[in-house]
Amino acid sequence: MDAQTFNARVATPTTRLVGAMAIVSLAWVVIGGLFITPKDVDQGDAVRIMYVHVPTAWVAYLAFIVTAVASACWLLSRKHSMGFDRVAGASAEVGVVFMAMTLLSGSLWGRITWGTYWAWDPRLTTTSFLLVTYIGYLAVRGLGGSLEQRARRSAVIALLAVLEIPLVHFSVLMWRSLHQKASVLSGDGDIKMDGSMLTTLLVGVIGFTMTFAWLVLHRQRVLAMQDAMQMTQLDAALRERADESKGLK
Amino acid sequence: MDLTPRTSEVNAPLAPRKRNTKWGYIALLVVIVVAGGTIVTKFLTSAIDYYCNVDEIGSRVGCEPGRRIRVQGTVEKGSLKSINNSTNFVMMFNDKTIQVVYEGDPGGIFQECIPVVAQGRLVGDVFEATRIEVKHSNAYVADNTDRLTKAEAQVCSPQAG
Repeated sequence: MDAQTFNARVATPTTRLVGAMAIVSLAWVVIGGLFITPKDVDQGDAVRIMYVHVPTAWVAYLAFIVTAVASACWLLSRKHSMGFDRVAGASAEVGVVFMAMTLLSGSLWGRITWGTYWAWDPRLTTTSFLLVTYIGYLAVRGLGGSLEQRARRSAVIALLAVLEIPLVHFSVLMWRSLHQKASVLSGDGDIKMDGSMLTTLLVGVIGFTMTFAWLVLHRQRVLAMQDAMQMTQLDAALRERADESKGLK
Repeated sequence: MDLTPRTSEVNAPLAPRKRNTKWGYIALLVVIVVAGGTIVTKFLTSAIDYYCNVDEIGSRVGCEPGRRIRVQGTVEKGSLKSINNSTNFVMMFNDKTIQVVYEGDPGGIFQECIPVVAQGRLVGDVFEATRIEVKHSNAYVADNTDRLTKAEAQVCSPQAG
């Protein structure tokens, strides 16, 4: 399949619009994050890592929640539409990428601010465990078997794995952590952040969320094509075997 | 009916690749289980409560003097000294203080009036740290040169977050 055919099959006006919004938002973040927002009084320029770190963490949470919701829809729906399963798989794939970006950007920030790339504190440990869990989820999806088998076993795992998210998010409240508590969603209504920093951060959240939506829309369509190819191969095998049986008779 | 993919010329390359892929995923799962176990073990042994506060040394379970612990407190203003490549400072929390010595430069944004976590052992009255991490608060404040100078604005008190 050449690139032009691929584009014709998976791109729609909706995905193009979402993609354009993502590009515009992310361009704003790059310009605002690098050139407009001020340095932090303690962290200096290292604060700019936050404009990637926080949105990617948010999108990873969102991706895993979408995976869980789509999985629940697959399990609970009567028709067991494979579309739900493909959205779940696509969202988990994108979530894993964003979660890895969160850890990587956080590690770089930690080296500059804390003085170390890594510490086994509650937030970092639970986050890395969440990442490993979803890599495992993707591995289970690739184990083989029928599409229904894949959907059923991965749906169960997705519904269990999503329970880790509250543990990750509230780890800084439940235990003493080197990682700071939330600045925006702190619960007390007091946002401890400079105005232009906060604006850029929120635009970053929008931009990365749009990027997530664009990636999932395209990826689930590619997965649909892969499933269709698998079914075509199965049909061909069935036909071939049926013909063989007729010949033997 | 046996539906195993045929090993004819057309399908021949597909069958062995599929088997290899399956074993690859199984191997990946084993690695993931081991990695998950390692992370959980690390978590339970060292990370549930990452540190003791200065005022808890000797008064809280897990914060006994003599054992290897992490201690959190704020670097007292005016106490930071560098002597023969070692960093000396006083760490305080809730009006309790402890003398800390660390070989080398702590790195990060280490400075006076900032919360830090020192990892090491209390020997006599001195905490001999082998690792120091800066505990940044959840406040993000713009660095404006026209404000009061940083030194004037700083108050050595434990920060939130």
